[in-house]
Amino acid sequence: MTDAAASLTSMEFHPQPAPGTARPWAFPAPDRGTLENGLTVLTSHRPGQQVVAVELYLPAPLDAEPAGLDGVATIMARALSEGTDKHSAEEFAAELERCGATLDAHADHPGVRVSLEVPVSRLPKALGLLAEALIAPAFLDTEVERLVRNRLDEIPHETANPARRAAKQLSKELFPADSRMSRPRQGTEETVAAIDGAAVRAFFEAHVRPATATAVVVGDLTGVDLEKVLAETLGAWTGEPGEPLPMPPITADDTGRVVIVDRPGAVQTQLLIGRIGPDRHARVWPAQVLGTYCLGGTLTSRLDRVLREEKGYTYGVRAFGQVLRSDAGGNGAAMLAISGSVDTPNTGPALDDLWKVLRTLAAEGLTDAERETAVQNLVGVAPLKYETAASVAGTLADQVEQHLPDDFQAQLYARLAETGTVEATAAVVSAFPVDRLVTVLVGDAAQIAEPVRALGIGEVTVVTG
Amino acid sequence: MPMGHTATAEAGSGGLTATEHRLANGLRVVLSEDHLTPVAAVCLWYDVGSRHEVRGRTGLAHLFEHLMFQGSKQVHGNGHFELVQGAGGSLNGTTSFERTNYFETMPTHQLELALWLEADRMGSLLAALDDESMENQRDVVKNERRQRYDNVPYGTAFEKLTALAYPEGHPYHHTPIGSMADLDAATLEDAREFFRTYYAPNNAVLSVVGDIDPAQTLAWIEKYFGSIPSHDGKPAPRDGSLPDVIGEQLREVVEEEVPARALMAAYRLPHDGTRECDAADLALTVLGGGESSRLHNRLVRRDRTAVAAGFGLLRLAGAPSLGWLDVKTSGGVEVPEIEAAVDEELARFAAEGPTPEEMERAQAQLEREWLDRLGTVAGRADELCRFAVLFGDPQLALTAVDRVLDITAEEVREAAAARLRPDNRAVLVYEPVGTEQSDSDEEEGADQ
Repeated sequence: MTDAAASLTSMEFHPQPAPGTARPWAFPAPDRGTLENGLTVLTSHRPGQQVVAVELYLPAPLDAEPAGLDGVATIMARALSEGTDKHSAEEFAAELERCGATLDAHADHPGVRVSLEVPVSRLPKALGLLAEALIAPAFLDTEVERLVRNRLDEIPHETANPARRAAKQLSKELFPADSRMSRPRQGTEETVAAIDGAAVRAFFEAHVRPATATAVVVGDLTGVDLEKVLAETLGAWTGEPGEPLPMPPITADDTGRVVIVDRPGAVQTQLLIGRIGPDRHARVWPAQVLGTYCLGGTLTSRLDRVLREEKGYTYGVRAFGQVLRSDAGGNGAAMLAISGSVDTPNTGPALDDLWKVLRTLAAEGLTDAERETAVQNLVGVAPLKYETAASVAGTLADQVEQHLPDDFQAQLYARLAETGTVEATAAVVSAFPVDRLVTVLVGDAAQIAEPVRALGIGEVTVVTG
Repeated sequence: MPMGHTATAEAGSGGLTATEHRLANGLRVVLSEDHLTPVAAVCLWYDVGSRHEVRGRTGLAHLFEHLMFQGSKQVHGNGHFELVQGAGGSLNGTTSFERTNYFETMPTHQLELALWLEADRMGSLLAALDDESMENQRDVVKNERRQRYDNVPYGTAFEKLTALAYPEGHPYHHTPIGSMADLDAATLEDAREFFRTYYAPNNAVLSVVGDIDPAQTLAWIEKYFGSIPSHDGKPAPRDGSLPDVIGEQLREVVEEEVPARALMAAYRLPHDGTRECDAADLALTVLGGGESSRLHNRLVRRDRTAVAAGFGLLRLAGAPSLGWLDVKTSGGVEVPEIEAAVDEELARFAAEGPTPEEMERAQAQLEREWLDRLGTVAGRADELCRFAVLFGDPQLALTAVDRVLDITAEEVREAAAARLRPDNRAVLVYEPVGTEQSDSDEEEGADQ
């Protein structure tokens, strides 16, 4: 601060500072209500968040798609924003953008999610457009045909992407052929080509109605008469009462094996190593979250500490658990996986090290220090992670979709803090048993097949790219 | 001396304010209070990017950014990551043409730790930098290059476009990732020299945004950063100025194993920080931003010749900005058909300009994007640094959206007429090779 300071030639060092006192923070508890039409509404006021997030969950699951029409849920989701009884497709897109809004819709195993983000000043207008899309979607044959063609054009791009290709192969390997989960979420070239306007309209009629749907509204709602706005928009949507379909059981074959999707000349190998395990309803979930973070949550976790920071084989490898689908009875499942990419010549050594990391973890367990760091991070980042309206709305809608109570996330933080090292170790070791992992490698089979076979991590099969 | 000026919100800043300070060693500091959530963002921009790299050493600024996470005098190996994450924070660093940034978002009560960590590496990185971390991070960065660019369809398109749009020898001719050969050639001494040249308090801006006590924060900054010696001797970056218009259509045809034909193009646009750049941004938004844009409506909806079509804008302050057209063709459609349609739309737009409805939509879209960026403490911290480093005034971040809303339709038309012309673009055409485009999952047999 003085002229003398500027002339110093060396830096003055200080000891690492101690933290101050934490300000309490809790995951927001939403207000829950039901509109007259049966639509469930969750709201959360988040001061300062000028862009409001609206998440709509429609329980139209992929397994409800008629045989041979995989992808109809996706096309229906996209067609929701392609015109109504009042606006053509182009007009509808233009009206949304006039609000400064974005509207995305996608279909996954539990159902269709529609995400609207809009500055709060134009929330009523944007909710009106969303309501229009649900009350009177046009679903014109010509628009559906265009979406089908567009979707067909997208498939080769996804197939060319190593990460997407690996995910598709892993689903095919894990799940029985008659399970919807074994097949691509957005359909294949054959099934998408079979979708027409009638199929979209029929799927909508059968599965989309306010009585089974939920809307989540999060943002700075100061000065917004939300009750009135909702009554005039989503409240005007009508439909028959109904119950969501029961969820079929989820089974998977996790016999340890390796499938190489051949990409001659690839400079890297995309890894996806996975199986299925318990979902968020399971008592073990917090311990599994904690243990999985210690294994591969960040670049200082066990996998990257070796594969990236010691060996330089990769830009990063992550372990994660991602819920596939849940029901209220606890019969759901999550995909447990390790993913990343490693350079082609080091594919064998990288997998060898990866398996060593897993074996060491099983033999020696996590340390208390690792567990402590993981808890501090997972719990501590919550206020950062949930700074935006969209992130809060996304988690609230996930909870609804997974039949969890509205305070699940809030409780999860308390349970993580209570989870010990022994429990976390047990959970991650049983989540990633070395002999029950299906390994998909998208890479140059001529280069990688022999070294991988020599590792003895399971039978090696090569398929074309 | 700290020289804070009053924190009065300017009109149109959404109630956000920022104060500016400067330490004796030249470190510029920007503080912005916001107590809605108990978090604080620390962002540090060093005024060095890939444009400062010399021939034979492309990728050095980015490789160096990785080395900044390998420990310093008081922080062991991966300690920076471990301490921030263990404190419930998140962090990273990124390198672009014009700057390198480092950021931590912390729970409020851990803010001091982040400042201590940033100061430690600003002042003492060389105490820890060694061959082992250099060799390791060289391999990591080469794998980053493979993963993000070399092993992805169209992954090197941006690199090829910039190489076309900015001539050989121009500081923006190469992208921050650098070439494999140059990454291999970089030495430990190169890294040390890079640090000595560019990593100085007088070549950086530090912003802290969020649930902070400004006086306390400034005292911590003075304590940890105040004694880091400043030093001069940073060479002026090579001149990035170019004529407004390329003057000819540059063209490269790439035959690669890609899933579909593609037409990409880079247009030379006005420098960031000018009204003309904001006008060009609006032009690109009307033409190719979102699902109601002219190119989307024409190519994807009506002609059905493209699977996706859009424009992006890379804002640059030290060289002309770059407007990036990206069209992936549908089915067997040939590129000339797409190109003719694009040219027709651009020419019509240059003649007629946007409709009032289009202006309203484009401004609403850009306004929402700004609200999103300023809606998090980390986004705000980054924008304050950006305007401080590139334009000398962080306050400009808080009023950026007003400047976009102030642009007229005629200015947008003029920007398009002046710049979105065939003789002002570098064109990249992708023609797929190989016949492995089938979606077959046929197993070739279990070869065990």
